Amino acid sequence: MKAFKLENEPKIKSGFTTPDHYFDDLSTKIFELANKEKEVKVIPLYRRKSVLSLLAAAVVVIALMIPIVNNYNATSKELDEATLETYLSYQSNLNQYDLIQNLDSIDIQKLNKNVAIEDETLEDILATSPNIEHLISE
Amino acid sequence: MIDEKEFIQQLLDPKTQNTAFQKLISDYQKPLYSHIRNIVLNHDDTDDVLQNTFVKVFQYLKNFKGESKLFSWMYRIATNEALTFLSQKAKLKGITAEDLQKKAIDNLKSDVYFDGDEIQIKLQKAIITLPEKQQLVFKMKYFEDLKYEEIAEILGTSVGALKASYHHAVKKIELYVTSN
Repeated sequence: MKAFKLENEPKIKSGFTTPDHYFDDLSTKIFELANKEKEVKVIPLYRRKSVLSLLAAAVVVIALMIPIVNNYNATSKELDEATLETYLSYQSNLNQYDLIQNLDSIDIQKLNKNVAIEDETLEDILATSPNIEHLISE
Repeated sequence: MIDEKEFIQQLLDPKTQNTAFQKLISDYQKPLYSHIRNIVLNHDDTDDVLQNTFVKVFQYLKNFKGESKLFSWMYRIATNEALTFLSQKAKLKGITAEDLQKKAIDNLKSDVYFDGDEIQIKLQKAIITLPEKQQLVFKMKYFEDLKYEEIAEILGTSVGALKASYHHAVKKIELYVTSN
């Protein structure tokens, strides 16, 4: 078989053709496409690197804040009770008379129920207590 | 003929932009069409790639530094667009780029926009056996009649390397056609 040599052959054309008048309106099509691209340049939010990195940073900051918020709530509650107690005991002018003044009949009934002291117990206390006179006079 | 720098200025100036771009399209539409068609082979795909190429040229013109000629810059965009298009199409169909090219050549026989016979088909079949770079060099030199200097600027290689590439391509094609 004779060896095929490109240079010995007549130039082989690619053979590609185009539809008639294809190039006539090509520039119009390209202009339309270019203007459309210019007008509607929508970049989805999730594809923006800056938005993504901001989102990630926000998540990290919020995640770091969770234990701080929890601790803050817990400690502030305990503090409140302790402060209140200290305040009532040492820094307020409240005495037992002020407290008694604020008790109504229902409170007194409740107190009686809570402090149900038997007569015998009362007698024992009175008999054994050395400050009995002080209590009576008060 | 106006100076290229002046022409680029006209392309960038909003007042003269449309007229200049119109001229750019009419000057380059045919050679760029042939260049893309030689890579993607079918007319409809070429039409898509060619339009995208011009849109990209229009979009990126403001970034054009003038380090290379406008001509080679546009060819480079067209080549990249065509190759990207092919690889995306192959990926979409789940086949290799080579199989995609084989299919495209088989379809040429029934393509109304292909006016070739056996020898053209055989030549195309021989070309796809070459590595991608050699395919490009061969098509640009043989079908498009571009000068080595021009191809070198488009592909960013030396003229010497291109000559060697073309020489290898021709040898392989001749061998393929002789034995098939």
